[in-house]
Amino acid sequence: MSSETESFIELQSVTVRAQEHISLDRVSVRFPPNRSTLIMGPSGSGKSMLLKVAAAIFPPDSGRVLLHGNNAQRMSQSEMMAFRRSSGFMFQDAALWENKTIFENLALPIQLHFPGRSRKQIEERVGELLERMNLLDSLTLRPAELSEGEQKIASFLRAIVLNPSILFLDEPTPSIDHQLLERMLGMIRNMKDNGCTIIAVTHDAHLTAAIANHIVVVKEGRVLEAADAARVRHSSDREVIQIISEVLSEAATYDTDILDLLEE
Amino acid sequence: MIAKLGKNVSDAFSNFLYATGFLLNLIKESALFLRRRQVGFRVLVMQLLFTAVEAMGIIALISLGLGAVIVVQGISILPRFGQGKLIYTILLIVITRELGPLLTAFVIIARSGTAIATELGNMVISHEIEAYVSVGINPISYLAVPRFLGVTLSMVLLTVYFNLFGLFGSFVVTQFINPIQLQDYFQNLLGAMSVVDIASSLIKSLVFGALISFTAIYQGFKVRVSSTEIPQVAIKAVGQGFVLCILADAVITLIYYV
Repeated sequence: MSSETESFIELQSVTVRAQEHISLDRVSVRFPPNRSTLIMGPSGSGKSMLLKVAAAIFPPDSGRVLLHGNNAQRMSQSEMMAFRRSSGFMFQDAALWENKTIFENLALPIQLHFPGRSRKQIEERVGELLERMNLLDSLTLRPAELSEGEQKIASFLRAIVLNPSILFLDEPTPSIDHQLLERMLGMIRNMKDNGCTIIAVTHDAHLTAAIANHIVVVKEGRVLEAADAARVRHSSDREVIQIISEVLSEAATYDTDILDLLEE
Repeated sequence: MIAKLGKNVSDAFSNFLYATGFLLNLIKESALFLRRRQVGFRVLVMQLLFTAVEAMGIIALISLGLGAVIVVQGISILPRFGQGKLIYTILLIVITRELGPLLTAFVIIARSGTAIATELGNMVISHEIEAYVSVGINPISYLAVPRFLGVTLSMVLLTVYFNLFGLFGSFVVTQFINPIQLQDYFQNLLGAMSVVDIASSLIKSLVFGALISFTAIYQGFKVRVSSTEIPQVAIKAVGQGFVLCILADAVITLIYYV
């Protein structure tokens, strides 16, 4: 198997029902490796659920999720741990562990996947990340003592603490101040340049302009379009164009045509 | 009407199957607790501190009171029938075999059952459980198992503690009514005690602890999307905990007498 076919995530006819509501309706989509895929759609269209299903956090009611060609629901524990070790997930609401300090939040994935690492090594790695985002003073604080933006930064750092080759980001940019946002975008861009596969749900025009290679457009639990950003830009489907324009214009301040952001 | 009834029965049956599967998974993960690399020893220690150590005061008070009441009532009534010695048997049956485990269970349900259901429910709402899954931590082995083992172990320890305090409390009260040598009191008590008394107390405490923790954990994980579900699951954890403990108590007692 070539690396191209080995390192990808694919959903095959995935359906997720949340109580009486269908969150994802027979969704089939492939996330190409070593590229950045942005999932876009109106609020409540199932974007976050799609991301969680793709990351094998939320199991589908029907259909298959293939991680590196393996069915996620049939993977052995060691295979799944290997996937977890190579991936990171940033949640929309940060989802930091409230009963742990920021240091413990970032250290836990390292302690779990690299039990041989010494306390000093873990402190160095966590300290280095927090220092880059001006959060070193928050080391011993609980998440509730941080602002919303700082919590999101800490959640982002937890997602990248293992240097993942697949990064899942759920609305990473809102409520983060400009200076920290620039640093965060720089880190994401750097990871992308180093071959990290990035799958992100976003409304942010800056992030879109910075990393979009591939776009998945979702509406009412269905995938309307999944293609290269440039192709989506020239989509003949008026609904797709309308959704992207609306989604991006919510956060954009550009004078130019919003769809030009998708040109490579 | 019939369709609705059928749907309710079908839902109840699937809930029962789901709960059974959850319980089996919990037991399996508990059996693997020591072997797991990601075990939550710290969570277990915290659970023991919260459930056992912090409840020692109220358990001591209840057991002392209960022992005292039995002695006061027994000493005033039994001698009239020439059955004064029966006080020791009654003390053992009521404290060790029946009310010791049951009252301890009620205290644990009220304190730890609600706390576990509420804490886990909050973790579901704030997506902390999903965050554990995202880094490769199994929430059952990391969150549920330490609570399950911690509450069960605490229940056994607190029942022993309840029994000791209840029996000691009855001795203290006896000193005010009908002074007796400590040695004589415990000789009489040990003479009336059988292995079944101790076994029954331990088995009940073990079963009650498992039922209380399972119910609370199951209800906590049942929260889906809204914070308004949290008080509802806490109430269910308490209600179901009481019902299951009383049913289990009746079954274990019946097994002994039948």
